[in-house]
Amino acid sequence: MSYINQASWDRIVRIALGIILLYLGWAGVVPGGLGVFLKVIGFVPLITGLVGWCPLYALLKVRTNKV
Amino acid sequence: MEKEAFFEKLHQNPRPVVVDIWAPWCMPCRAIAPSLESLGGQFDGRVDYWKVNADESLDLVQSLGVRSIPTVIAFRGGQEVARRIGAQPKIALGELFEAALTGAVQFEPGLAPLQRMLRLIAGAGLLILGWQAGPSIILLAVSGVVLFSAVYDRCPVWRALSPRLARLFHRPQATQVK
Repeated sequence: MSYINQASWDRIVRIALGIILLYLGWAGVVPGGLGVFLKVIGFVPLITGLVGWCPLYALLKVRTNKV
Repeated sequence: MEKEAFFEKLHQNPRPVVVDIWAPWCMPCRAIAPSLESLGGQFDGRVDYWKVNADESLDLVQSLGVRSIPTVIAFRGGQEVARRIGAQPKIALGELFEAALTGAVQFEPGLAPLQRMLRLIAGAGLLILGWQAGPSIILLAVSGVVLFSAVYDRCPVWRALSPRLARLFHRPQATQVK
C-alpha cells in the first residue's frame, strides 16, 4: 500500500514501545503527571505502528521502507 | 469430474465460469447452495455455474489448491480471477460472478499476514493491559477495535455490510485486477 512509510522492523518497534509506555502509565508503574502523560503518549507509537504511516516521516519526506 | 476433463472443458468454455466445490455432508456448502443457484440463474448466458463434488474429484480439488470447502472459484478465460472460502453471504458470492464477468475483483484483497499478526499481538497486549489496569474501559475498547481490525476481512457480518456502507457513503470500492 502506497501510504505506508515504515519498514516492518520500524512498526514492530513502535508497537512494542507503545505497549510498554501504555503499561507504564495504565498499570500505575509510573505515578503522577508523568503517568498520565504516558497513558496518552503511548497511543502515538502504537497507532502509527499499526497503521504503518508516520506523519513526522511524511513531513520530513523520509521513509524506512522501500518504495 | 476428472482433472484433465475439467481443465479441457474450462479452457474451451466460451463464457466465464464460477465453480462451486462442495460435498453432500458439508453443511455450509448446503447453506450457500440456494444463493449460488439463484446467482447462476441471474447470470445465465453470461457466466456458467458448475458444481464439483469434492469427494468424487479429489485430484481436481488438489490441483485447484482447495484445502477446505465450500470454496467458490471464479474463472475468466480459463484463468482464476478470484476465490472465496467458507460460507459467504449472497452479496459476496455475487461479487465472484461479477469478478468472473469483468475480470475485476470488487472486494478488498484482505490483510497482509504481517499486518494481521501485528494487529493481533497489539490487540492482545492491550486486552491484557486493560484487564490488569482496573479493568480500564478505554483500553478494553481500544483492544476490541484493534482485534477487530485484525480479522474484519474474515467477518461475514462485515462482508455483508461493507458494500452497503460503501454505497451509502459513495466511497469507491478497492479494485484489483488479477
